[in-house]
Amino acid sequence: MIDAATAERIGLTWLRTAIEPVGAFGRRHDETIAPYGPGEESAALAEIAAVHALAQRLDPDGVARVRAALRAVPEPSPILSRARAGDSLSDVDFYELGRFVDALGALRNAWDSARGPAEERPPALDALRALLAPGRDGGGFYLAGGFDASLEPARMALAAAEAALDARRVAIAARVRAITGVDPIGDEFVVLRDVYDGPLPDDVRIVRDAPAYRTVAIDRTSSTRDDALAALAVAEDEARRTLAERIARESHAVKGALGALGALDRALARVAFTQRWSGCVPEPAPDAIDVEDAVFAPLAEALAERGRRYTPVSLALRGVAVLTGPNMGGKSAALATAGFLCACISLGVPPPARAARLPLLDVVIWIGGEGPHERTRLLSSYAAEVVRARETLAVASARGLVLVDEFARTTGPREGRALAIAFVEALRARGALALVATHFDGIAEAAHVPHLRIAGLHDRALGSLRSNDLEAALDAINAAMDYRVVDARDGAAASDALVLASLLGLDSTLVKRARELFAQ
Amino acid sequence: MPRSSSSTSAAEALYALATASARSVVVVGTAKNAGKTTAFNALRAVARRRGTVVAVTSIGRDGEPSDALDAQPKPRVRLDAGTLVALPAGLVPRSPALALLGRGQESALGTLMFARAMVPTTCEIAGPPTARAMRATIDRLCALGDGPVLVDGAIDRIAPLAGGDDAIVVATGAASGSTVARVAQVAADTVARLTLPGRDAARERATVVRIAGALDARDAEELLHGSPDVTVVVDDPTRIAVRGAVFAALLAFVDLRCERPLRVVACTTSPVGREGTLPARALVDAVARATGLPTFDVVADLTGGAGD
Repeated sequence: MIDAATAERIGLTWLRTAIEPVGAFGRRHDETIAPYGPGEESAALAEIAAVHALAQRLDPDGVARVRAALRAVPEPSPILSRARAGDSLSDVDFYELGRFVDALGALRNAWDSARGPAEERPPALDALRALLAPGRDGGGFYLAGGFDASLEPARMALAAAEAALDARRVAIAARVRAITGVDPIGDEFVVLRDVYDGPLPDDVRIVRDAPAYRTVAIDRTSSTRDDALAALAVAEDEARRTLAERIARESHAVKGALGALGALDRALARVAFTQRWSGCVPEPAPDAIDVEDAVFAPLAEALAERGRRYTPVSLALRGVAVLTGPNMGGKSAALATAGFLCACISLGVPPPARAARLPLLDVVIWIGGEGPHERTRLLSSYAAEVVRARETLAVASARGLVLVDEFARTTGPREGRALAIAFVEALRARGALALVATHFDGIAEAAHVPHLRIAGLHDRALGSLRSNDLEAALDAINAAMDYRVVDARDGAAASDALVLASLLGLDSTLVKRARELFAQ
Repeated sequence: MPRSSSSTSAAEALYALATASARSVVVVGTAKNAGKTTAFNALRAVARRRGTVVAVTSIGRDGEPSDALDAQPKPRVRLDAGTLVALPAGLVPRSPALALLGRGQESALGTLMFARAMVPTTCEIAGPPTARAMRATIDRLCALGDGPVLVDGAIDRIAPLAGGDDAIVVATGAASGSTVARVAQVAADTVARLTLPGRDAARERATVVRIAGALDARDAEELLHGSPDVTVVVDDPTRIAVRGAVFAALLAFVDLRCERPLRVVACTTSPVGREGTLPARALVDAVARATGLPTFDVVADLTGGAGD
């Protein structure tokens, strides 16, 4: 269970979009598969391993081509539903089914050229293809004579009737031309009285008799033609009905094929993600998060779009731990990474990391930075956090991950710190897996939990960079910041708030005064 | 003087003129019921007489027994064997079956289908849903066959044809005016707008004003109160939103041009209107004189030359 706010913070919303299947079949298939939870480790890891193996085997361009071919497969289900219900189908329906089997052929070709394993080759539906074959020449469809022996004779009869009618019309037109001098190019024509005002041939009829002209029509009625047309209509409908019945008998096979396409679509979406972000096959770890060089892909993508580098995160979390470090050092990103990787495994996606041990969880909850929706509930930031904390403690367990981002930072620091310590103790008591980012000092020691910190700014960078250009300042901070998560016992923790304020261009006199006050 | 032909009918002459240098012929009307579909069908009849397989489509819905808006009777479109057609899936006749060759854009009446009549049939046709898609539809029909592509068109949807070599035929008639003079004036106004010349760097005036979008009454007012030493450029002739006297004044005052001209090759006239009938000969003659274009009455078999 992951609420919308948490989904946004840990990148789950982004992840769902990133692994969205390209076709309707894939999306439908996806909807039938719930995220994996505790106890489903074997199934989750089996899917992840299969995806990972496929990602290793297929080249990314080939995957893109297969996915493009999947996207181009049209939806045959409504047509088949009507066929199963006994409805007669139209030629456009048969044409669309032809497109469907053609698209399956193109998909198989793309699969083969991507060197996809033969045992996972997309379905062909040869029987359906064979049913439509008499009407298919190239990519189109025609209700050809091969579907029913009565079609060709009926068409020949109609063609003969039309030819006889045309011959009669030509003969009448010639008589009109000879008598009036007017060439009746269409079935209806006008004879001006000052051109010709005499009697007209017997086999035309006057539609309008005006003082200056007569509008005249050549009669195109023919009972022979009408009968031939009616006979052809009967023959064509019978051929369509028969073909629709045969197609209905293939609907079970088509349904199976659509299921296979859906599964393939889901798998390839994950393969593309894995190839893009170098996912790994994790080991199951019911009560720990242990990752090496993990990537919070939404942030890495956003940074890449701005030409910035993302530093992979390594993190070992058992039970509850406190995370401290400088502003802009990546505490929130570390929290999000932990949640993101757990979301990956729950969705059967290889988590982007060099190696990972991850749990399947019932719930992931993020506390901190409550958004505008809280204001609509007339809650202050502090009140919103407290409500969130209350809700979290109600569900916190060993099967949940709690990600806490600077809890109680918006209230008085002494009471806030006390509250933070008590909250960490409460999480530990419930056996929860939790990572608690804070600027309060001494929380980990007071609550008797491990203390992690962001390595922070390089010493060599301190004070050497200054710019009023925000982009340049961010670049400088990015270059100077060591985003690694380390054990807090190794070296001193620092918030680097004054250094960062200076780097971000805050008035130097003001920063200097702040340094003096801090030193006191 | 207009004449009734004996060896070459008006429809034959129109067909020869329109297809002489273009693969596609688009018939547009100056008003509803101006004889557009009649001219379109006459072109098809000539092709049939010549044994030429054509492709047909329409801008908007055509060929239905009665007009969708005013319930007036309208000619249905007869497709001879071999005729290529673009029409929405919802209008594909059940019988006789068409050979379906491909699909185009989605429209309110279903996916646009490219098809070939295998035996003669009569049906409604409607073209692509957007003006932009018309260009692609014509090109696809050209690729599917060897013969001309005939389009039952509409003036407000031919912008994508600008800059191409499509031949445009303007259908006019009693539906656009109650007198011969009025019909001729409307035709002249329409043709003058549609035949707006392309840019010519050698003849551009001191100042060049490029109008993005439509040139409307407000633009015209400003231009008419400015310097005449101006070349005004619009994207294509359909971007001229002013009519009648204002347009004529603008045309006389500034050098009005377009980036992508249209190629109007002829007019047709229809003397029969809902309010009454105009003299056919006088009408074809007046329209020919007013527009400077070869003009044909394909029903009464009359031809009016610009110089007549």
